[in-house]
Amino acid sequence: MKIVTANRLSDGRVIYAGVDNQPVDGLDQASVLDEATAEIVLAEVAGRPDIFVNPYLVEVQDHAPSGRDRLKERIRATGPTVGNSLVRESA
Amino acid sequence: MYRYDEFDHALVRERVAEFSDQVARRASGALTEDEFKPLRLMNGVYLQLHAYMLRVAIPYGTFNSRQMRQLAHIARTYDKGYGHFTTRTNIQYNWPALTDLPAILSDLAEVEMHAIQTSGNCIRNTTTDVFAGAAEDEIEDPRPWCEIIRQWSTIHPEFSFLPRKFKIAVIGAEKDRAAIRTHDVGLQIVKGEDGGTAFRVFVGGGQGRLPHIGQEIASAVPAADLLAYLTAILRAWNLLGRRDNIHKARIKILVASVGLEAFREEVDKHYATLRHEDLRIPEEEAERIKAYFAPPPFEALPKTSAPFDRALLADPDFARFARNNVRRHRQAGYASVVVSLKPVGGVPGDITADQMDAVADLAERYAFDELRAAYEQNLVLPHVKLDDVPTLWRALLEAGLATANADLATDVIACPGLDYCSLANARSIPVAQALSKRLADMDYQEKLGPVRINMSGCINACGHHHVGHIGVLGVDRKGEEYYQITVGGSPDEQAALGDIVGKSLPADEVAPAIQRTLDRYLQIRAEGERFIDTVRRVGPDPFRDAIYETLDATA
Repeated sequence: MKIVTANRLSDGRVIYAGVDNQPVDGLDQASVLDEATAEIVLAEVAGRPDIFVNPYLVEVQDHAPSGRDRLKERIRATGPTVGNSLVRESA
Repeated sequence: MYRYDEFDHALVRERVAEFSDQVARRASGALTEDEFKPLRLMNGVYLQLHAYMLRVAIPYGTFNSRQMRQLAHIARTYDKGYGHFTTRTNIQYNWPALTDLPAILSDLAEVEMHAIQTSGNCIRNTTTDVFAGAAEDEIEDPRPWCEIIRQWSTIHPEFSFLPRKFKIAVIGAEKDRAAIRTHDVGLQIVKGEDGGTAFRVFVGGGQGRLPHIGQEIASAVPAADLLAYLTAILRAWNLLGRRDNIHKARIKILVASVGLEAFREEVDKHYATLRHEDLRIPEEEAERIKAYFAPPPFEALPKTSAPFDRALLADPDFARFARNNVRRHRQAGYASVVVSLKPVGGVPGDITADQMDAVADLAERYAFDELRAAYEQNLVLPHVKLDDVPTLWRALLEAGLATANADLATDVIACPGLDYCSLANARSIPVAQALSKRLADMDYQEKLGPVRINMSGCINACGHHHVGHIGVLGVDRKGEEYYQITVGGSPDEQAALGDIVGKSLPADEVAPAIQRTLDRYLQIRAEGERFIDTVRRVGPDPFRDAIYETLDATA
């Protein structure tokens, strides 16, 4: 299964395509889609560059990133694992 | 230090206005990301994992308290209350909003700062010896030449669309404290045949995927011809360098592929013409720039200081700080003080806004209002009266900035890695933190003596792992983080690339393996040998054995 993610234009924060393809902050709010639907949603959000910057698909299992880039996607979802900005704020 | 003239002010203001307009057009959707990306990259703006990142230039690492306070203000107002000093002596903010960038750049312009040419395929911030103007062994302060290079290279029309980025470093002493041979061009001030200032020139150094140590292309270019010679090098590369493959576009690849002799011929051809054109630096202009970097009004003081010596005897913690973080100064009665940004378990190079303000106050009070950023991701107060060092140390303690580990094993250089960077394959910071905690015992670190450990989260090598005495490179193995270790690299006048010792290790094995490496050094070192001396004498094998002695098969 797939989710659609991007960075938000205004502040660069990580966003996902949620219900009705609306941008949402949390990975848990992202719509989990089959391959064909994911491609359609990706094309749809790519047509909204005022919100979605560089959208792409992420492989997930049980709402958690599961592909080759799973660590990177986990860090994108929850924020840096160390340092001065551990808590990911939402807009 | 250098102060902007009317041209500098106008140029920076014009750029702020231009980029503000570009940001507004991007925010409104008039510009696509593909259109905006090359524009933002000309202004130090990246889009990283979690947010935009802004890299602010600190030309040749020299700045003052007013500028540091403005950096603190920006951290507080537009970011999360901290900044991160980089290996190019710049400062990065990890969380600015796109729409705040015009205000940030405007705030920077108020204090003669900007983000121009901190990214993109242009000539980047020129770096130098962090102890420039203070070091005992210096022939001449390299910073006026850095400033001349800055003025020449800023928005240079011929060199704004290079095959790739281009980095220059300048030193004024034989001891290389700026890693010049890891640069596209490294310059060392020497005395020319006529006794005047000249430059020994190294070309084709660089790290990344295909690391090379710079080779000497000229032994003594007269100072007046420096810009002609640099132009000749850049022109030769700009015309001949590859643009079809991003990994093969740096000048190091060109020099390695055609050979130094052939490249020198190419450069000399251009130089023969250029040196008779209007690129000669008039002596009066060089003197005018040098005047900005005149030594501060030092007092005539004895070599020793009673308050300093008393504090050495009275407080073992101060004595440790003095041993490790205080450097000899060319002026009697003064010292340079390293402010370590590597607290135990901290993020290398990070500094909070409050700490920035604290350092600014101390620079103003005790160091002729001058600050330096070191490529090792530390700060330096270059000119401090020995009498004042104990008081300064107590203030640094209060600010959490008195870690006495400069150049020791926990003074780790590390890139932001996968915690922030969209290019990274693995995290660097947690590995550096684990090592820092493991080696925290200061007695142990002092027993080890100077050792440089570098970590990069990908092969782009922002953490300079190739030239660490011990280097750590994060790699991706089917979605898991592994770390390749090198031994024997060196960034200095005996520059060398480290040897890869063997298979990569899982994250939690890195710190124990490095400690075994250091313990092996303690067992086999000869009298007076530093870690790197021992590696040079015995080679990597004993250290390879130490690294793998408790490990089963790894990836």
